[in-house]
Amino acid sequence: MAVGHRARLLRLKSVRHFSKRGKCLTLFLLLAGLGGCGGPREPVVKIGFVAPLTGDQAPHGQDMLQGARLAVAHALTEGPVIPGHSLALAPLDDQRNPTQAVAAAKKLVADPDVMAVVGHLNSSCTMPASAIYHQARMLHITPISSNPQISRQGFDTFYRTCVTDDLQGPAAALFAVRELGASRIFILDDMTTYGRGLANEFEKKLKALGAAVLGHEGITQGDKDFTPILTKIKALNPDLLYFAGMFPEGALLIKQKADVGLAARFMGGDGQFDPVLIDLATPQAAEGIYLTTIGSDIHQTPTARAFVAEYEEQFGPIGAYSAYAYEATSIAIWAIRQAGVKDRRAVLATMKTLKDYPGLFGPQNFDEKGDSLIRDVGIFTVKDGRFQFVKTAAWE
Amino acid sequence: MTPLQLFLQQLANGLTLGAIYALIALGYTMVYGVVQLINFAHGEIFMVGAYAALTVALAITGAPWWAVLAVCALGAMALCGALGWATERVAYRPIRSAPRLNALITAIGMSFVLQNLVMRIYGATDRRFPELWPAVRWQWGGVTVTLTQVVVWGTAALLMVGLQWLVMRTRLGVAMRATSQDVAACALLGIPVNRIIAVTFALGSALAAVGGMLFGGYYGTINFHDGYLTGLKAFTAAVLGGIGNIPGAMVGGVVLGLLEGLGAGYLSSQWKNVFAFVILVCLLLFKPTGLLGERVADRA
Amino acid sequence: MAALPLVYPHPYHLDVLTTSLLYALLALGLNLIVGLTGVLHLGYAAFFAIGAYTYGLLNLRAGWPFWPSLVPAAAVAGLFGVGIGLPALRVRGDYLAIVTLGFGEIVRIAFTNLERWTGGPNGLLGIDHPRLWWPGHGIFDFGVASAPYYYLVCAAVILAAALCVRLSRSRIGRAWVAIREDELAAACAGIPVLQLKLLAQGCGGAIAGLAGAVFAAKQGTITPDSFDFILSVMVLAMVVLGGLGSVRGAIVGALVLGSLPELLRGFDQYRMLAFGLAMIVIMRLRPQGLFGRSSHASAA
Repeated sequence: MAVGHRARLLRLKSVRHFSKRGKCLTLFLLLAGLGGCGGPREPVVKIGFVAPLTGDQAPHGQDMLQGARLAVAHALTEGPVIPGHSLALAPLDDQRNPTQAVAAAKKLVADPDVMAVVGHLNSSCTMPASAIYHQARMLHITPISSNPQISRQGFDTFYRTCVTDDLQGPAAALFAVRELGASRIFILDDMTTYGRGLANEFEKKLKALGAAVLGHEGITQGDKDFTPILTKIKALNPDLLYFAGMFPEGALLIKQKADVGLAARFMGGDGQFDPVLIDLATPQAAEGIYLTTIGSDIHQTPTARAFVAEYEEQFGPIGAYSAYAYEATSIAIWAIRQAGVKDRRAVLATMKTLKDYPGLFGPQNFDEKGDSLIRDVGIFTVKDGRFQFVKTAAWE
Repeated sequence: MTPLQLFLQQLANGLTLGAIYALIALGYTMVYGVVQLINFAHGEIFMVGAYAALTVALAITGAPWWAVLAVCALGAMALCGALGWATERVAYRPIRSAPRLNALITAIGMSFVLQNLVMRIYGATDRRFPELWPAVRWQWGGVTVTLTQVVVWGTAALLMVGLQWLVMRTRLGVAMRATSQDVAACALLGIPVNRIIAVTFALGSALAAVGGMLFGGYYGTINFHDGYLTGLKAFTAAVLGGIGNIPGAMVGGVVLGLLEGLGAGYLSSQWKNVFAFVILVCLLLFKPTGLLGERVADRA
Repeated sequence: MAALPLVYPHPYHLDVLTTSLLYALLALGLNLIVGLTGVLHLGYAAFFAIGAYTYGLLNLRAGWPFWPSLVPAAAVAGLFGVGIGLPALRVRGDYLAIVTLGFGEIVRIAFTNLERWTGGPNGLLGIDHPRLWWPGHGIFDFGVASAPYYYLVCAAVILAAALCVRLSRSRIGRAWVAIREDELAAACAGIPVLQLKLLAQGCGGAIAGLAGAVFAAKQGTITPDSFDFILSVMVLAMVVLGGLGSVRGAIVGALVLGSLPELLRGFDQYRMLAFGLAMIVIMRLRPQGLFGRSSHASAA
């Protein structure tokens, strides 16, 4: 009797458990359905867009997304890209994680409406994804992944609208030695693909120029306290501190450099070229720093004036990468429009005929590897709490 | 700078970092002490505290700095206390009877929710934190100490002493310690166990809010992602000192801060975490229950 | 399941499934360590990284093809498991969690900093995809296709699951459970506790090493930031969600947590928020994990 009762209890319990497990799985499927549902279908051509939209690098991804959205909005004012089709941007998040980047790339490749991809911020994500776009014969334009290795893979689907690190680093070194007269230099980077790559190029050129490199060290992205390493650098008494990395760490380095009383000049790469840098570092501490940027001053480029004005009206101060996302998206739209048919191979073939595209930075052309021929490296300084353009740097 | 001055300066640097770790570690250790549960969402609560203080500081203008500081601290503590209490109700209490590790899932879930909520509300870009106290600095024989550093050290020490007093000398503290030993027996004796646990979460979270405010004021920038790395370090500090032990959290925080500071200052900045962890592992090999530790829960 | 690519050859969904199954492989390995032996491991991604880098380096430096590289990838990761376990297992409970966390961080930072050998933050580029001789077709390169990797990972999961089931039902498996339930009693009963724990660490490490080699071959590029602490925690969450110690649970948990972020892409920028909420809700509905038995509820 007791045994039977217990067995029934057990059975009841297991039924209850099963139903709960069932509930979990139902919830799972429901969420999946919610995530997957779409609107009514009409003929559409899509441009894929991938960048980190959540996670610690979301600020850059959001800046890029706004630029890409503006490019689509502008294209729509010029009528349908392909007759009878609407145009849509398909934004995906890769969280700067290479695994998710590959998943996003496969998602875009599998969608027959996607005709071109603009994307990936981080070189570590662009690299594996570019192989997938190449295999699918999909036009792939990265706005900003500047690692030179990517275009050396020989993919004819790959294009890039920015200057590579092997040009920016040497340009910075030449400016530091020849114009700033630096001879004792300490180099920091943020131990990422981008930061370490840029810093290595900078160091290589410095050594060729005969300047003394006092040290080259990495800091951890996301760290806040750099006073120990800065105190150590202070004891070495350099006349220039170079940092290759992003603006959150750059701002803290600039601020704490002033706090520990390190008198050396500060110079950095394009990842820190964002008005927020000056605010975060405090304008007093940021005064007189130098940054290299990809391309010259967007605010002073006549061809970009209308874009910058419209962007800043809609979204506030323009981020470092917004213009490149706009440029890449516009070029992708141009290729689809010129091809006139919804066919990836045709779009790619049209892209190869591109010549003197009237872009934001002037006539845009690409070399045989897909890298932009606009290879200006700009030098900026901070004066009275604002970025001020110094000159276009030489890199040879 | 002489080597001695350099060393003293590095000591001051590491000590400040350590004091911040210690403040956050207190929250980990309190919750652990009472329910033997690692609150993995604690780092995010610390981050929310920083943002709450930022919001309050931007809202009041024209008051003297100490008044702003006090209001910021109270506002952030109230919000985070409530958040800690809510976290316990939503994410931990319902699964308290399940294996201890299962709270890991709800904790990670809570972390994602808090991080992404803050990102949606305040934006993904780093925010500048207003200066909450005057920028005063003193020089003693080449060693620079700022008022900020003194504020951080003072607050950390004060809160630790206060907390130790609360746990050792008050009725609430006695109830907390009793709950940590045997939940069932406490309930039989009429101790409102659920309320004690909720209060523990709220208290720990309020301490994290103070940590967040000092963190913001000291570094000057905050980001929705700050809870992750700092939270991880504070957790490490809490365990290093002997988890569940309040002075231990303080000692662990300071030791970790010094290890990192001296590692970056004397060895190499890019190897500093390796250096810190190697020393930490060695310390634990010789003292397998933490520097001042007592309690060990041996099962996952 | 096996015929899925034939009836439903959508490359994106197959890729998501493949990645989730790769996580399932990791979860199976970690389940041996955490689920069966009860050792809380927070640095499991390190074994995954070691396997990936072993294949990557053998392929790029010595021209090894994929298939024979699987042996050293699993062996090196397994040896690391035993090598780290030997000193680390002196430390107990949550202190061990910190030691393993430190191990995970040390490995990741070492791969980042040892630039001359590992390519530093750039990682290893241009690793060969697997090649297979196929009767009638000659040599078939997996390339960046989806289906071949799906089959490969499926086969690996089935093998690993079979191994885990066999192991857990053997004398060794029963001894592991005995250690988890009560280490002292197990030792008194004559179970060689340390050797068995080391065996679990070695087996778990080897499975992760295998998964790492497959991952490197699939991606073609590996960078150290693919192997961060979050990965360790997510794999642990998969094991816990499935129910500690359950082989089925580890696989289902990995499929759920591995594919949810992709399934939630429709939520756009709210997807991680939705992911967090989903984790909390699932755990509240099923506090002991999907396939967990409530008999361990007392283990705390």
